[in-house]
Amino acid sequence: MSITFKEVEHTYSVDTPFAYHALKGVNLDIKKGSMTALIGHTGSGKSTLIQHINALLLPTSGQVQIEDVLITATDKPSSLKSLRKKAGLVFQFPEYQLFEETILKDIIFGPKNFGVSEEEAIKIAKDMIQLVGLDESYLERSPFDLSGGQKRRIAIAGILAMNPDILILDEPTAGLDPQGAKEMLQLFKKVNQEGKTVVLVSHDMNQVLEYCDDVVVMNHGRVEKHVTVAELFKETEYLTSLSIDLPIITSFILELNKNGFHIDPSIKDINVLVQEIGGQLNE
Amino acid sequence: MNNMMFGKYIPIDSFIHRLDPRLKIGSLLLLLIAVFFDAGFLGYALLGIFVIIMALLSHIKVSQILKAIKPMLFMMAFLMIFNLLFIQQGNLLVSIGFIKIYDQAVLQTLYIFIRLILIIVMTTILTATTKPLDLTLGIEHLLSPFKRIGFPTHEVAMMISIALRFIPTLLEETQRIMKAQASRGVEFSEGSLKEKILSIVSLIIPLFISAFQRAEDLANAMESRNYNPEAKRTRYKQLIWKISDTISFACVIMICSVLVIMSFVL
Ligand SMILES: Nc1ncnc2c1ncn2[C@@H]1O[C@H](COP(=O)(O)OP(=O)(O)O)[C@@H](O)[C@H]1O
Ligand SMILES: [Mg+2]
Repeated sequence: MSITFKEVEHTYSVDTPFAYHALKGVNLDIKKGSMTALIGHTGSGKSTLIQHINALLLPTSGQVQIEDVLITATDKPSSLKSLRKKAGLVFQFPEYQLFEETILKDIIFGPKNFGVSEEEAIKIAKDMIQLVGLDESYLERSPFDLSGGQKRRIAIAGILAMNPDILILDEPTAGLDPQGAKEMLQLFKKVNQEGKTVVLVSHDMNQVLEYCDDVVVMNHGRVEKHVTVAELFKETEYLTSLSIDLPIITSFILELNKNGFHIDPSIKDINVLVQEIGGQLNE
Repeated sequence: MNNMMFGKYIPIDSFIHRLDPRLKIGSLLLLLIAVFFDAGFLGYALLGIFVIIMALLSHIKVSQILKAIKPMLFMMAFLMIFNLLFIQQGNLLVSIGFIKIYDQAVLQTLYIFIRLILIIVMTTILTATTKPLDLTLGIEHLLSPFKRIGFPTHEVAMMISIALRFIPTLLEETQRIMKAQASRGVEFSEGSLKEKILSIVSLIIPLFISAFQRAEDLANAMESRNYNPEAKRTRYKQLIWKISDTISFACVIMICSVLVIMSFVL
């Protein structure tokens, strides 16, 4: 188990009139090496939850365990830095964290803070910029001349350059064009296949179906479900009650089944679906 | 940063919350002037009691007032040390090497300390009990006599209300960027001077960029709705002066007069 939450509560602005109880008795085990989606309405506590993973927020009560590091309300882990390196967090709209004159400097900022030498960091930056789909000529440019989507790639490269074991992404594709979003997710999947644990906050069920293994559903500060993707999309009524749309392909299959087909609703791939339909039409 | 109290409105109901904003602003101005009349410790005791009564009437928790004072402590300590060292009047109390402390310096420093605390607490009571919008409305009303001599009352009020409106937003933004940079290994409270400077830079630059971006967006949004600062306006919200306001104002005037008289008599 790589990320474990035990009875975690979080209240913002404790003891003031602005107090807000954002996490309520959260229990959670996120498997090492999995790609886990975190879904739920705006305000359900997703961003609050993920900030506990690298101790930006401490639980008001309960405990969080990240591999061998234990985080509770009272004892901060002695070495926050090593935890921050272990769990790389990409905030929503991370393009706002860029500040250096050149993209190179911005990408190596993280690694250098964690004690990587300048030359080593530059080498990493050259790999990372290509990984996020830009070429090396960008390294000497100013990050502020880029488009929003490109800035986001740079910000993500800056986190990937820290080489975290756990990659946490808060709505990384919000506001990106569909092609850009797809490339981003393929990148995260690749990172996941290289052995890193990925936690992805997303509102797009098509992404969840296509790329993730497990899903955590949050509702009003509680974790309501932690199941595999296939199991989640079987529970159509539950999802409707949360007004979460099914992935397009799944709702298409359900529509077909209503009209006499018998197709497995957990099919993710359009080609498999086409063959299945073809087969059943021929019968 | 998380529990920034200074200048924040506290949404509860109390006698002070219900007073007219014009009264509260006017009273604060008078009291701020009164604080600087040297009425001796007796005078400050009097004013201190008055401020405590106001704080009690406003139902603000002591912990919240302390939180408002806390961020100022550093600046206060700085001011006080300078005063202690540089005022060289009266009898010499302590002398260690080149450091000489005189009794007048101690007295003056104590005065400054008391004044600053009073000022911070009084200002906090005003901002904690008055919604930012009411505050601007009050300021606009109080400034309205100057309209006749061409003073841009409405524009100034608009500027103040925009500034007030964006304080929480900027604080939120600051927190967000601090967290984002902390995720990249920045430790804001630790490290050498050079590291500290770099960590501040990593906060300030994104903060300024987004603030300018916001300013531009807001200006465009206002302009596209044809906002004209010189247009004549009506108000949905009317300020109504009540008897309780008159009585409160009388109390404030009384206190201020007593302090001024004391400062001349003593
Ligand atoms: N810094 C904060 N102070 C007070 N309340 C907050 C803060 N951040 C978030 N909240 C509140 O906590 C709740 C959960 O927020 P969040 O975790 O951001 O939800 P999500 O990411 O699922 O949209 C929201 O109702 C939000 O208003
Ligand atoms: Mg969120």
